Amino acid sequence: MRWQWSAAAAALVALFAAAAVFPHVANGYELFVGTEIAIFAIACLGLTVAIGWSGQVVLAQTGFFGIGAYGTNYLFEHHVPWVVSVLAISLLCALCGMVVGFPAARLRGFYLAIATLAFAELLDQLFNNATAITGGPVGMAVVPFRLWSLGVNVGLWYLSFVVLVATVVVLNHLGRSRLGRCLRAVRDAEVATGSLGLSATQLKVVAFVISALLGSIAGSLYGQALTFLSPDAFSLNLVIEFLVVVFIGGVDKLSGAIVGAAFLVLIQEALQSFGAYQRLIFGVALVLVVRFLPGGLVSLVPLVRARWRSRRSRPEPAAPQPVEVSAA
Amino acid sequence: MGQVIVSGLAAGSTFALLALALVLVFKATNVPNFAQAEMGLLPAFITWQLMTTFHVGYALGVLAGIASGVVIAVVIERSCIRPILAHSESASVMMTIGLFFVLNSISGLVWDSAPRIIAAPFGSLYRVAGTTITEEQVVAIGVGVVVVVVMSWFFRTHLGSQMRALAEDRVTPRLVGVNPNRVFLVAWAIAGALSAIALLLATQSTVLNDQSGVAIILDGFVAATLGGFNSLLGAFVGGLVLGVLTNLAGTYVSTSGASAVALLIVFLVLMARPRGLFGQARAREV
Repeated sequence: MRWQWSAAAAALVALFAAAAVFPHVANGYELFVGTEIAIFAIACLGLTVAIGWSGQVVLAQTGFFGIGAYGTNYLFEHHVPWVVSVLAISLLCALCGMVVGFPAARLRGFYLAIATLAFAELLDQLFNNATAITGGPVGMAVVPFRLWSLGVNVGLWYLSFVVLVATVVVLNHLGRSRLGRCLRAVRDAEVATGSLGLSATQLKVVAFVISALLGSIAGSLYGQALTFLSPDAFSLNLVIEFLVVVFIGGVDKLSGAIVGAAFLVLIQEALQSFGAYQRLIFGVALVLVVRFLPGGLVSLVPLVRARWRSRRSRPEPAAPQPVEVSAA
Repeated sequence: MGQVIVSGLAAGSTFALLALALVLVFKATNVPNFAQAEMGLLPAFITWQLMTTFHVGYALGVLAGIASGVVIAVVIERSCIRPILAHSESASVMMTIGLFFVLNSISGLVWDSAPRIIAAPFGSLYRVAGTTITEEQVVAIGVGVVVVVVMSWFFRTHLGSQMRALAEDRVTPRLVGVNPNRVFLVAWAIAGALSAIALLLATQSTVLNDQSGVAIILDGFVAATLGGFNSLLGAFVGGLVLGVLTNLAGTYVSTSGASAVALLIVFLVLMARPRGLFGQARAREV
């Protein structure tokens, strides 16, 4: 067992070292792509909790993402320290999550999808019309935040990376805790949870609030990644993109959000001028993944590993033995 | 004002047809089909293409379009939907979202976003009680009513009863010889035809482009929700009500007010009365 721990520790050190070095070896564009992957991963980890762990198909994440971006920028513009703004807005989103989550917990499956989609669209309309706060369709310029004396983009990368790692660690712990098991119980056998003394509604709201929190924090970071906020960035397209991330990556595992985010951002950047082809690829990928690989791309790893193992240790077929026929 | 209401009813008829398709597919196979409008968009483009390039007449073009809608729906049901019916609900939601993408991008790639017009031969105007009604609007509302009547009749036929039985109970009808695969196929085929008709009606009074489906899918869902996703009459009436309300909001409030009204309606209905205005409370097996 000990070599597994040292291997994991070595991998972690390597990861942190790579992240520390990344801004200095990558150009501005590559740094932006990496930061975008990290930010999308954070937002979609929230969806992993809501959809993957508690089974609620929540499509409202873009709303919280947008509130995070706009709200933090607005407060920062008005001289509230950036970190305080982030925390304040994420608290606001957590409250919103509670308010929306309670009635949402009563809805089943796809009614919930429609209701949360309507909520996200309503927020998108709000971003378009609350001109005093958000600048309306024209948008608002982002006030850059400097982390100590680092460059804006470098600081943002470090911040996003650290938040992503912290989120993964916290969620991993939560997932293995009693809360994680209760949420999965709600997902798999909601009716039975009542008989075990668990309040399905409370648990669902908790998942919803966690998801809203992560969406808001990711949104605050995203606001810094863009130099200009406009409502287009938080429209229906973003809802679909988040869903693509979560489902192509794999909705059950935390690594799914990260893999999916990498897939989405890389394809987007590769096909930047071919909007319709992007959508075609995402659509085909989604259809194929749902049809043939329901666990997402991350489920390929255990599949491949299982097949490789069974091939290595397949026993020799037994040599045929002569059959004794006894006089009965 | 009367003008606004009449055009609201005409638009609402389109929403209602789309909602009928959605409710039919949902009742029969328990799949909320986000791709329903796109499944009707391709037939509309095919009709346009036939009429423009091959100079096919309007009636024949429409019939060909509807037939292609049926074919597309059947192909999708067989290849993408039937295999995953046993999986979770979110699987079928994601599948239809993926299909929405695929169909939408195919429309955009084959026929770009330049607006097209399907030359419908409905040009006359009528004046009733001081309001001008176009023949297209009469056709839209009329077709809607005819479809609802035909669907109600259909559910009293043998196949229609089988469909209703399967919607209530997946297992028992098999014991009396109902073939679920055939029923699912027919449900999707009819829904494909309905969405083709809906898209043709929706684009006859405006232009046809690759965003025409996106524009009405949400309204279709709202109308279906108003009917509780359960009742065909509810979906139809819901569609008409939605059409009138959004038109009123669009005229007297603002253009973005129209979509905001639709969203607010669906949000409130789902929060306050999830079974819709006309639906019955569904009992669920656990």
